[in-house]
Amino acid sequence: MKAILYVRPLGHEPASFLDRPYAQGIVQQRVYDLPGLDLTRYGAILVSAHTDQRAFAACSKQITAFLDAGGLLVFNGHIAYPFLPELALFVPVPGFSLNLLQIRRTAEHPVFDGVDPHDLTFRRGVAGFYGRGHNPLPQGALVLHRLSGNDAPLDWVWQRPAGGTVFMHGGNNLWMYADDPSSAARIAPQLMAWVTAQVEPHAEKEPA
Amino acid sequence: MSSMPCIVAVDGGAYFHRATLADARFAPYFDDVMYAPELAAKLDWMEADCLFVTSRQDPALMQAVRQPIADFLAAGKTVVAMGESQAETWLPGVAWHTSEVNFWWWLTPGADSGLRVGTSEHDLFKHLTLADTTWHQHGYLDAPPGATSLVNRAAGGSILYEDRATTPGRIVATTLDPCYHHGSNFMPATTRFLTGFLPWLRGSLANKD
Repeated sequence: MKAILYVRPLGHEPASFLDRPYAQGIVQQRVYDLPGLDLTRYGAILVSAHTDQRAFAACSKQITAFLDAGGLLVFNGHIAYPFLPELALFVPVPGFSLNLLQIRRTAEHPVFDGVDPHDLTFRRGVAGFYGRGHNPLPQGALVLHRLSGNDAPLDWVWQRPAGGTVFMHGGNNLWMYADDPSSAARIAPQLMAWVTAQVEPHAEKEPA
Repeated sequence: MSSMPCIVAVDGGAYFHRATLADARFAPYFDDVMYAPELAAKLDWMEADCLFVTSRQDPALMQAVRQPIADFLAAGKTVVAMGESQAETWLPGVAWHTSEVNFWWWLTPGADSGLRVGTSEHDLFKHLTLADTTWHQHGYLDAPPGATSLVNRAAGGSILYEDRATTPGRIVATTLDPCYHHGSNFMPATTRFLTGFLPWLRGSLANKD
């Protein structure tokens, strides 16, 4: 099985999910160390919303080679520096009102199995943590969650025609809910189980 | 450099840095933008009057310019350090204490944010109010001897101070991380903070001796 790479972001607060048994075996590298790495060695790459995207996008050729080799990229955050030609800049919803920020599930996916969209819309009763806009869709992407505002496609998964998969969340890190007292806590372990199944060569692959 | 005081902002390359620095409301206050990984190799920023270090920089990149920053301050210039970049590891006189982040205090009706104006006659408060500095706190600072604390914690310590005593220059240090939250389209107080802070900063540079 190829390794799973977590790109260490800015800042110094380690993501708590990395300490969990389900995250064992994840390899960590700083984004600034990516240029010296052969990314095709990895089966999956996890990118935090707090990553230096200028540095990440500068590795566009390596990222393309990684996807060409069948890699799975899990990307969190607002795209500010598109790293593939099919990607475009984040589009915020126009305002803060609750009628823009409700999360609606549009397709089932193992990562969100048993996660109540209400627990994504509200965190301790406050809306807006999960997402406040979207990264525009490449052609052929499957939308998993939309925002009520502009029907914005907040989460999507894209089987890239030339190879590889991009799992996109246009908000703060999916794993930030790992300690939440709600069904949103299911996301991090289910994400890791799904990612592991995708990179395991002999495993029965889940439909994306 | 022009005769107008020059502010160079540090860009860490994250989406929230871009969203803050490119915001049409704030971009006029940034005469130039330096990408954090290039600070050590391209020292042109030392010609500026002020280095504005936006929130949440990679501390290792700032530590790499610890000495140029000390030299910049020794030349009488201004360094602004927004929160969450471990400024205590690269900026003189900064003493940081971690506290539990009080993300949710405002959900309790009538709750006290725990923040107090430190120096009400300071010019900054002609541009913003205590409410514009009030969101959650990641920690607190010890204001160095001779520094002016602008926002205090009732429980002790400062979350925003101006220090003209530790070096020949001026350090404005805070635990607040407005560039992150403004750049994430979240927390309107952080937008109001920058809306008041940046004109104050520009004016304070123009008024120096």
